[in-house]
Amino acid sequence: MERIGVVLGRREATPLEFWVGVEGEGLLRLDDLVVVEGFHPKVGKVRYFGMVDLVAKAHEGESFDTDVFLAVEGKIPVSLAYVAHVSVTRIVPEEFFPPDPGSAVYLAREEDLELALYYDAMKNQRGSTKLPVGFLKSGEVAYLNLEFLNGVKGGHVNISGISGVAAKTSYATFLLKSLLESGVLEEAHQARVLLFNVKGEDLLFLDKPNLRLSEEARRDYQKLGLSPEPFRSVAFMAPPKKGEGGILPDVETRLEGVKAYHWDLVQFAQKGLLPFLFTDKGALTNLGFLVAHVTEKLRRLAEGQKGPHLLVADWPEGELPEDITFDDLGRVRLKSFADLVRYLEYKLLGPETKEGEGDRTWTARQARGTLEAFVRRLRSSVENVGHLVRGDRKGNPPDPLEGGEQVHVVDLAKLSPQAQMFVVGSLLSDLFAKKERGQYRGRVFVVLDELNKYAPRDEESPIKDVLLDIAERGRSLGVILIGAQQTASEVERRVVGNAAIRVVGRLDAAEAERPEYRYLPTSFRQRALILPQGMVILHQPEIPVPLLVRFPFPAWATKREEVLEDNSAEALRREFF
Amino acid sequence: MAWRLYALELSRLEGTAGEALSGATAWEEGYPASFQPLEEPWEARRAHPKPWPEPLYFVDGRERVEAVLSDGRRLALLGCVAAGAVVYRQGSMRLLETRVRRVGVGLEETLRLGELVYEPLPLEGGAEPVSPLALQEGLGKARALLEEELSGELEGGLLVVDGPVRLRRRGPVLGYIKTHWARYLPEVREALLFTLKPGERTPMFKVRRKGQELASWYLRLPLPPEGVRPPESGLLRVETPLQGDFGALADLSLSLFPALASHPVKDSRAPQNLLPVGGLERELSRRMGRREVVARILARYQDSFSADLGGG
Repeated sequence: MERIGVVLGRREATPLEFWVGVEGEGLLRLDDLVVVEGFHPKVGKVRYFGMVDLVAKAHEGESFDTDVFLAVEGKIPVSLAYVAHVSVTRIVPEEFFPPDPGSAVYLAREEDLELALYYDAMKNQRGSTKLPVGFLKSGEVAYLNLEFLNGVKGGHVNISGISGVAAKTSYATFLLKSLLESGVLEEAHQARVLLFNVKGEDLLFLDKPNLRLSEEARRDYQKLGLSPEPFRSVAFMAPPKKGEGGILPDVETRLEGVKAYHWDLVQFAQKGLLPFLFTDKGALTNLGFLVAHVTEKLRRLAEGQKGPHLLVADWPEGELPEDITFDDLGRVRLKSFADLVRYLEYKLLGPETKEGEGDRTWTARQARGTLEAFVRRLRSSVENVGHLVRGDRKGNPPDPLEGGEQVHVVDLAKLSPQAQMFVVGSLLSDLFAKKERGQYRGRVFVVLDELNKYAPRDEESPIKDVLLDIAERGRSLGVILIGAQQTASEVERRVVGNAAIRVVGRLDAAEAERPEYRYLPTSFRQRALILPQGMVILHQPEIPVPLLVRFPFPAWATKREEVLEDNSAEALRREFF
Repeated sequence: MAWRLYALELSRLEGTAGEALSGATAWEEGYPASFQPLEEPWEARRAHPKPWPEPLYFVDGRERVEAVLSDGRRLALLGCVAAGAVVYRQGSMRLLETRVRRVGVGLEETLRLGELVYEPLPLEGGAEPVSPLALQEGLGKARALLEEELSGELEGGLLVVDGPVRLRRRGPVLGYIKTHWARYLPEVREALLFTLKPGERTPMFKVRRKGQELASWYLRLPLPPEGVRPPESGLLRVETPLQGDFGALADLSLSLFPALASHPVKDSRAPQNLLPVGGLERELSRRMGRREVVARILARYQDSFSADLGGG
């Protein structure tokens, strides 16, 4: 054990915090872990483990600030005081009496380090639950207790941080890598991941090796017990390009391996996706009822239909737009989302040409104002989701539980906010319903950035309920939310509050002062303002202090330029023939 | 006959004149009867700047009365003396050593009070009732002894001591006197003192004390901000044994002392209380322990005084 100093006597030493005087050539930095031994005749030996959260140097013997010049010139004798403040993380055994001033302080290494960070408690009947999540400042591997992530004792991860410093998405993907590959998660092969790509196209290269991965980063991965390789089993889905009949995925940088996703009208009706188009159903009280009612009517209408187009029997001939046709059974065929909207308008408000009344079975006795508000909103959404909900082709919605791939990346970047909401809401509610019915055994990890948009603190959102449901009940069903946002203070409290693991990247100064970050000690809140790239503060329930964690450079490309081109003969052959 | 704690401070004793005890030492024998200049003519002198010799030692001591004991007839004094040295070497001033000793002036046996141990320091004529003044003098002697002991172990270089040169040392020694109780100059020569500018000194003159021959001179320290001052402000008397190249030391003192003069904003005894010595004094008083803590220990043990001393 390396002796680093002694417990100070000039400042109070308590069972929870004390000061250390660093001796001689000793080096004690923030985040270093130390151990002190205490003794009391009635209790016996007690060991205090703690983390350094403040270090300071000062000249002793100077009584004025300007004395420093005299000291530098060698005119007055001074001694250098090097002190550190230690927050106690653990006492073994749990006897809360203070250590004696003057007690020797040692750097915690190996076994002591494990005790200090409760690594010894991270296990269950079947083995260790230590999930590698990065490196401590000292270079040793940092772990978190998987049981707080996979839903056994707790679940969900919340990541905060300003954008542009590679903290949120990078850390979320690194965490997934560790979850899927470290072997700590049982039946990791059954786990599924649903990743939403909300900005740019950086998640569309998860399966490509990173050109800029250095030897050092490779060693980092090996030290963590992970392979320095990209994700192996990934499916990419992007919305189709807008415009006539387009079914090509709307992506620019990645040209192969991306499938377009969309729903057909029958799926739209059967799955009851209509409510996800309404961002403000709380604005008019009755609108919510009407949405629920129409959703139900559509569901009944689509019963037994196979699609992709929706057949309706009660649209009189005279008002048909030209492109609508009858099928063999004499029913009208709705071929696009716009058609559906026109049909609904007819059902609710009556024929366009005259001031009529809608179909009473559809209007649910709502006032005309409500009906008009409903139709207005629906009409304006045609432009946003017209290419996602279509009647001309068999629907192909993303389904992370289907197919052979483990990771499903769903691109939202090019969609309008309303369409993004629609896609996220549809997928999550579908996923959750399936897990509720027990259709899939493995765990599902959902990564969603910009939580503040989907579950805002003060406003309504059609998918806030879905997210709340996942946050509150998801962990028992095996749906784990890895949510991220720039500012946790703007996200619904219950969503953030249900996350057992909290990760903080660099924060904005005003944001760091909000009550959402009170779980961080002051020194960490200050440091959150200056965190460099590749560093995060990680808080988990078992350890009373947060850990400053460095995570390795992504082994997968995060943009087109980073993709390591495969120019082998085999690859070229595949490409050209 | 048992000792008991009588007071924790000397000044609380009746009939003692605190002022007379508090600093003036009776070392300096006043002249001007046998004034003997060592340099002529009698005018202000300057010198070119000189590098400081290395190592350059500073030695100083402190004394503190911690308790006064009485057995009904006699008094004894528990006190603490400390001495320390700093050295200037390679551009930095470092604390070299400090020694702290607790003494019982007028005691015949060692007195242990918890962690405090007072070594006996008998006075001449111990059986007689002693005056507080004599006790104080005894403590002063203990401090002087400690300083001498410490400086005897410093090898080479130049030694600067606070106060007159009392000790004998092989290497060069400079003593400096901050307050001027005694007059060394005849009145006609004294006029020069008032016209000295910062960084100037008077010519050397001879001083004889207790069989020791010394060279001495006055120099003026800078005292910012300049302005109207009493004539003796910033005046320092320096002395060195009359041996070796004392003339060079006198010139060196002009490079040394003004550079180390303290600033009035920071030190109430500026500029004469030199910077390293001020620092050393703070350090020494720290090493002596807090007065309050010592007083508390003494109070706690006061019942055991008589037992410990075995009714001496």
